[in-house]
Amino acid sequence: MNRRQLIKAGGASLLLMSTGVGALANSPSPNKIVWVVLRGALDSLHTVIPRADNDLLKLRPDLYGDIKDQLLPLNSQFGLHPSLKHLHKMYQEKQLLPIVAVGSGYQGRSHFDGQDFLEAAVGKVETDDGWLARAINATNGQAVSVSRTTPGALRGDDNNKAVNWYPSSLNSDNDYLYDELKKLYQYDEDFAQALSMGVDIRDKADSSKRVRQQFAELATACGKLIRDDSSMNAAMLELGGWDTHNRQAQRLKQQLSQLDDGIAALRDSLGDVWQDTAVIVTTEFGRTAAQNGTAGTDHGTASAMFIVGGAIQGGQIMGEWPGLAKHQLFEQRDLMPTSNIFDWQAALLKQHWGLTDAQLKAVLPSAKLRFATRPICRII
Amino acid sequence: MNKENYIAQTRFGLGVNPSHSVAGDAKRWLKQGLTAPDLSHVKGARASGELAKQYRMRRDNGDDKKAMKASSPGTLMIEAVTESADNAVRATPSINWRILDFFSNHFSVTGQNAVMKFLAPSLEKEAIAPNLFGRFEDMLMAVTRHPAMLAYLDNAQSIGPNSRIGKRRDKGLNENLAREILELHTLGVNSGYQQQDVLELAKAITGFSIARKDSEGDEQGFVFRSAIHEPGDRVVLGKRYRQKGEAQGLAILKDLARDQRCADFVCKKIATHFISDTPSTDAVKALSKVWIHTKGDLKAVFEALIDLEESWHSEPQKFKSPREFYLSAMRAATLPSDNPKRFAKALRELGQLPFSAGSPAGFDDTADAWLSPSSMVARADFSQQFARLWRRDVKNVETLLDQLFGDQLSNHSRQIILRAGSKQQSLALLLMSPEFLRR
Repeated sequence: MNRRQLIKAGGASLLLMSTGVGALANSPSPNKIVWVVLRGALDSLHTVIPRADNDLLKLRPDLYGDIKDQLLPLNSQFGLHPSLKHLHKMYQEKQLLPIVAVGSGYQGRSHFDGQDFLEAAVGKVETDDGWLARAINATNGQAVSVSRTTPGALRGDDNNKAVNWYPSSLNSDNDYLYDELKKLYQYDEDFAQALSMGVDIRDKADSSKRVRQQFAELATACGKLIRDDSSMNAAMLELGGWDTHNRQAQRLKQQLSQLDDGIAALRDSLGDVWQDTAVIVTTEFGRTAAQNGTAGTDHGTASAMFIVGGAIQGGQIMGEWPGLAKHQLFEQRDLMPTSNIFDWQAALLKQHWGLTDAQLKAVLPSAKLRFATRPICRII
Repeated sequence: MNKENYIAQTRFGLGVNPSHSVAGDAKRWLKQGLTAPDLSHVKGARASGELAKQYRMRRDNGDDKKAMKASSPGTLMIEAVTESADNAVRATPSINWRILDFFSNHFSVTGQNAVMKFLAPSLEKEAIAPNLFGRFEDMLMAVTRHPAMLAYLDNAQSIGPNSRIGKRRDKGLNENLAREILELHTLGVNSGYQQQDVLELAKAITGFSIARKDSEGDEQGFVFRSAIHEPGDRVVLGKRYRQKGEAQGLAILKDLARDQRCADFVCKKIATHFISDTPSTDAVKALSKVWIHTKGDLKAVFEALIDLEESWHSEPQKFKSPREFYLSAMRAATLPSDNPKRFAKALRELGQLPFSAGSPAGFDDTADAWLSPSSMVARADFSQQFARLWRRDVKNVETLLDQLFGDQLSNHSRQIILRAGSKQQSLALLLMSPEFLRR
């Protein structure tokens, strides 16, 4: 056993101790969930475009005018932004499920509170208790986030089964140092735990090819991290840059391409496991229905979400369209939310991971089970 | 080194520098350090008036690369942050540099494109540093009028719908800067302002823009354009502002800076940075009382912070952020600032390159954000690499430990560090010791 394996074994025994009795009673679902959070508030009206709504062109003559003739058709009402080529194909292959006019229930227009609200998913702004951490705790699963720091959604993980990983160009051939550090942290549990988990996940991600910090490459690495590890059943990816107060048409063209390439890269990297995977794509809130003075949009309320994956019964659009006439808008300004993101998440967790109602209550306390029987997954 | 001197240098300052020491009483020494850091010689951050010209060139040519190629913006930005870090590493006391970092993060701007890479460092140099120990309202106004902030949060082209140009050109408001002023710079989120207040403030600061010609604007490149300023009175937080032109926005900013909610919000951030991730409400109240009493005199607020008993808690309270960690390592080693490329690479890998927070909220300031599996490994890898450069300058590790920690290092840590297989390993372990990772 070499030094690195020794540390690995140390990590594993910690894990065994912490899972304890729960693991016997409840083994994690082999199905994977990947949460992609879009930070900065995605403009859904420029993503899942309500092409049949006559008010759209009036509200955004430049923004909609720019893409109106190139939409990728979904149904008679909606089309996808032309950058979303892979997602469109997945829709045709019945793997993509767009849900329109969704909101988290967050009432303000602050990105940072809105994201905390989304990551906590308890119906209020909260920063030390995240939904994905609760989800893996409830199911004895494990999660990895591809990020430099621990995102809110994975905080409050009592069992230390949430780990983060991010590509690094620093030389990491430092096994001797890691061993010594383990001794150094003998009386410092936080540091000992973090280091041991960090070394472990770095070994798993180890590849001869350097990963660049570009979304598609991060998604590929993410797929690899969860593909071959049956207990690693959740992952989280972040993509920022959606706060398009100006030059929105140009910026979203690139942003949406990145997202599209990233989901395709994740699928390719997961290989056969894609069939057992559900990817959830959500954002903190939407943007104003009308374009603003700088060819962009300001902070709004409802947006759209995607559920996509081999396990998903896609090729249909869910959510109720509220309309874009002035009186149909929230505060006469934003797309009106007609359903709650967490209700959809709860339905997915129930169908994809088989969570019981009691578990759902613990994971998503504010969610209602109103969509539990909607056909989201292929096999319910 | 007694405990007070250790805390003065690690918690208030940017870390112990073995060639410096605390002169006399630690509190008095710190208070004497509350003077504006001098960034005038930081050549990377050139006057933004010059930068505004670059901005115009870029916009007029519509071609990023061509206009900017002459002096690569990314290189300029890295040079600026390296030079400023170099000064912070050599400073004694360094409390003023820590406070500069604090407000630079409070008014966070990101070098997200060529223009912003040019402009970002100049915000710190021209608007924040000169006002660091003056009134907060002066810093707030300087920041809000600065081309870097005006470009970053889209105010330069925000047009009052009823202004002369607004009526002619079917263009309009952009509320981005106004919202962040209320939410991030002054009152804090959920402090009671409404969407209507955001809109009113946005209208009041229409016209705060960036110079297009050499003949217009001030030396930093700010210009007030009355042709896009929304005419009329504004009502913000229930108060009516009848001023005309630029004076209207400035009057609102001044009131915001003196508002109790602003005092509470910023003082809580200060206490969270200096005292602990969860400072007591009493500590925050004590600071905000001084703020209100002195109309936001930052020097008085930091003097009060130094006098607070809670600031001197004997156990380390904070997990260093990556930048704090890096700067304290540089100070410990008294190494020159390396070359800019290496500096930038290390800080990027550790996760906190200045002007790259990617959000106007800036970087987080608590352990739950920074302490993670991946970041611990990154710090270990960094320490190993750093120790390789450092080892040549260290004659005796034991002496170094005494210089850096006094009696604040546990026997356990001391033993592990000293019995390591090589000097490089000892130094890497020193940097990664619980005592060095916290302050």
